[in-house]
Formats: sequence, C-alpha cells, structure tokens
Amino acid sequence: MRPCRPSNLSTRAFERRRLLRFVPCALLSPLVEPFAGVARADEQAGFKLIVHPHGPARAASRELITDVFLKRVARWEDGEAIKPVDQRPDARPRSSFSSSILRRSVAAVRRYWQQQIFSGRGVPPPELASEEAVVAYVLNHRGAIGYVGAATDTASVRVLRVR
Amino acid sequence: MAATFVGGFNWPQRGRSWFCHSLRCALLLVTCSGHAVAQSEAEDRWFDLETHGFVSQGFIYTTDNNFLAESENGSFEFSEVGINFTKQLTPSLRFGAQLFTRDLGRLGDYDAAFDWFYADYRFFDWLGIRAGRLKIPTGLYHETSDIDVARVPILLPQALYSERDRHYLLAHTGLETYGYQPLGAVGGLDYRLYTGTVYFEATNPAPNVEYSIPYIAGGRVMWTAPIDGLTAAFSALTLRADQDVQLAPEVVQVLQGYGLLPAGHDGSLTLTLKIKAWGPSIEYAAHDLLIAAEYARTRTDYENKDEPQLDPVIFSDTGGKPPYPEKAEAYYAMASYRVTSWFTPGVYYSVNKKLGLPNRRDRHTHDLAVFVRYDLNDHWLLKLEGHYINGTSNLDGKLNGLTTSSGQGDDRRLHELTRIWGAFLVKTTAYF
Repeated sequence: MRPCRPSNLSTRAFERRRLLRFVPCALLSPLVEPFAGVARADEQAGFKLIVHPHGPARAASRELITDVFLKRVARWEDGEAIKPVDQRPDARPRSSFSSSILRRSVAAVRRYWQQQIFSGRGVPPPELASEEAVVAYVLNHRGAIGYVGAATDTASVRVLRVR
Repeated sequence: MAATFVGGFNWPQRGRSWFCHSLRCALLLVTCSGHAVAQSEAEDRWFDLETHGFVSQGFIYTTDNNFLAESENGSFEFSEVGINFTKQLTPSLRFGAQLFTRDLGRLGDYDAAFDWFYADYRFFDWLGIRAGRLKIPTGLYHETSDIDVARVPILLPQALYSERDRHYLLAHTGLETYGYQPLGAVGGLDYRLYTGTVYFEATNPAPNVEYSIPYIAGGRVMWTAPIDGLTAAFSALTLRADQDVQLAPEVVQVLQGYGLLPAGHDGSLTLTLKIKAWGPSIEYAAHDLLIAAEYARTRTDYENKDEPQLDPVIFSDTGGKPPYPEKAEAYYAMASYRVTSWFTPGVYYSVNKKLGLPNRRDRHTHDLAVFVRYDLNDHWLLKLEGHYINGTSNLDGKLNGLTTSSGQGDDRRLHELTRIWGAFLVKTTAYF
C-alpha cells in the first residue's frame, strides 16, 4: 500500500525519501502484502460508498465493488445497469477508495484505463469534480454507485455496506 | 521462405476501401443515434463521446545492425499518432474506432489507417459480442502493444511483441465473444474467443505473389486471482497464411521442360503456412510493483497441395527439403517499480529461438533491457531505454542491406550480421 505523506514533509522531499527506499520496498512488498491485513473499506478509511436510495444494492463485497469500478461487471443482481462514478485523481477520497477497495494506486488504475481506452476495450467511469456532483449523479441514476468523503452529508442517498 | 512470408504487410486497396466505406456508415450511425440519445439525456455523461489521443516521437541508435529503422547512424523515424472515439449508446451497446499512423523505418510512412473499430453488445456480464476490426487478445499486452502510455518500457519484449509484426498481427476483422465470470473467493475469469481474417499488404512482396490470411481463430482465458494484483492467462491461436504465386510464362515453360509442371499449366499455385501458437502468462501488479513473465511456443507447417514436385526447386537453398515444421519458443521476465509519481525504472530479459536446429546467431535473440519512465505531468512522459542483445533473429534483412538478386530482403543471410550489439532508445509521448 502506498504510504501517506507526513504533513511535515513536502511532496518532493517525501518522494525523494521514497526514491532512496525503493529497492527494499520493491523486494519486500510482494512478501509483505499478503500479511498486511485487510483495510476496512468503510468510513474509517476516509470515504463512504453511496448508491441510489431506491437502487437494488444495500451491501456488496469488496471484490464486487472492484469489478464494478473496473467495469468487469455491468449489472446489479436485478438487471439494472451499474453506473459507477469516480472523483478526480487528486481527490483525497479517491486515493482512499483506490487503495482500500481496488487495492491499487490511483496511478495504477489510470494505467489500467489507458490500456482499456487505447485497445478499444472500454472507457473509465466519469470523473466528477466535486462530492456534491457525485451525490447528485447517484441521486439521478438508479444504478449509480459512487464514493464521497466520510464527512460528506449523505442523507439523500443510501450508504452501501461493504461485506 | 517463412521470413519472407511474414516479412510485413499493409492494407490492400480493396480491403481498405470496403473498410473505409463501412466505417463511414458506422460513424454516421453513431453520430445520428448518439445525437438522438444525447438529446433525451442531455446532462448524462454516460452517453458522452469519449475522445482520446496520443503523439509520440522517438529516437533509435544501435552500435551495430539496423534495428526497426536505419539506426546505426541514429534515426528519428520512430513516430506515432493516434486518436480514438468511443460512444456508449446504451449500457449494453458501444461503438469505437481508432485512427492511427506511424513512421518506423520502412514501416508506416504516415499512412493513416484504422487500428480498430467495432460495435460491442454486452448481453450479460458473462457474455458479450464484438464485431469489426478487433485487437487480437493474446498474452498480457498484445492488445496494448501500440500504446506507449500504457507500459513502462519503450519496446515490449520483442520475443513476444515484435514491432515488425505489429501491422498485420495486431488486429483481425471478424467476431469476438467475451465475458467475465466472478468466482467469489477464488477470483474471477475473463475469457475471449475470436475468429476472423486479417487484411494486409506485404511491405516486402515478391513479384507476382499475393499474400493473404484467410482465417485466424483463437482465444484467451485470464484468471484474476484472489491475491490482489495476481493474474494468470493462457492464450492460443491458429492462422493460415497463403501465398498465391503466378509464375511467369517463361518459368512455366522451363519447369515443363524438366517435367515439373504438366502441359497446359497456367502457372498459378498456392503455398500455405499453417501457424499455431500458444502460451501461458503471469503478472503481479499490485500498487507500484509490476512483475510479469510469459512463454510462447509456435509451430509452423508448410503445405503445397497444388504442385508438391516443385518443392525441391522452391527450397533449393535448404537441400530441396522444406524446412518445416518450424518450431520456436519465446519467453521473458520483466519487473518495474514506480518509485515516485514521476519515476519508474524497470528491467526485462527476453529470449526467442528456433528449436531443433543447430545454434546460430540468426536463430535466436537474447535481449537484456533496462529502462526508465519519467511522467513529466498527467499528459506527457519521457522514456529512456538500453538493450544488450545477442543474436540477429529479430532483424530485417532488407534494412541491413541483405537482398536477393531481385532486390527483396533476404532474411536467410541474417547470420552475416554482428552477433552482439546494443540499442539505445529515447521516446516522448503526449496524450490525453
């Protein structure tokens, strides 16, 4: 999992420190990852998953949510088309969502979509510019699923439970 | 013979005009129906036309031998431009097309062509169908082998992803069925089955010979393991490649004089190669680390049903016996690590070799590559790459001045080239 930048370090200093550490990281990460424990994909991870209040989903597994956001799965169980919606790459909830649920960095997910786009296999979910826009999108589409920051008001939509 | 056969192709004029007409119709349909849908759901991004593109410029220098371009003196003939459009008409129906042009040594010369175009209907998650000109799903990266932005190295391991073969082995025109089946605790299964034909035009054609690939068929099964980032795949394909030869009347006369052709023969014959390829792949791509390894094996069989008595003449340089079946294997291992958001170094080692023949420099290539990728910003990247190469099997005879008396490239003389050589590449790509 990509480490968080300490608040007392600039981005460049943080990346320089990562550069010096990359060899042991590269060697150890495949060994460490399976034992790293499962990050809780819920509000404690800094985001909430939301769906339409009258949509078919109330709970979903992390694996299913991953398949949904990578568009491997296109329909809910009742046949409704799933419409995942993302936030901008630099949005904090996206980073939390990406590492907790997709288990990939935002950059790795973007690279996945570049492969899909340029091979003609698919296009990524729309990236909306604000949390309000995500909530509005989810409200307007019965099959929609998105995520917002843990502190965002989600009274108008349904918060999806991660099994 | 095999090297000449697979030496390179472009679109035939007839295929191109048919294809362009079809594409114009398809785009018109997309535009019209898309407009109607967009009007009814004007604020729905779901129905937007997705447009993406890229522009690349590279430089190649080799210490010996010309590789891809006239690289011994350094070459900038390494450019690519592509733009693609995708339209999601309904949650199940999608259209797309990519216009691509490139210049890579003798290949491309900025002839614009559609890399792919398709209509895609997904009935269920486990069953969809695509029709059009489709990327061939082989191995981990074949579908994305022309996308600089989607990978770390400049050149994917050439043992499996040869740039020389890209223009006729990248895509087929036909049908593909595909699907994805979640398997719960054991991951998920992605599967593809396809069949079609490949339109091409030889870039190094022999006089009075027409080349065609009447069919290609294959499939790939890809297992997404429950361990995050671990993927394993198995691919297989078979294709038939024909050379329709029209012998000159004076040649027919001489052959008839030797009793090798019957009286009244019109001089036409078809030589066929049947190629089978298969291989497993594995990739671990979690967070910032990527490790991949692939293996492929090919078998090429030769067939001359029309006039087998001509084989001793056709294969006079191999003692009159066709050098078939030809067997070969290729494999590589690659690793890269994204150290920071802008810096990713990596390394791979790749090998291809012909099997069952005495070892010779033109029957193998061992390639050790080190590379770095700098992401200058979200839309611009720069890559540097060095190769230490032992062998000449990946080289092009014509590009290295090895020609027959008729001026064709002669890949049978690749053993005359320098065995150990180095290549240095720089490439920058802007994309959106």
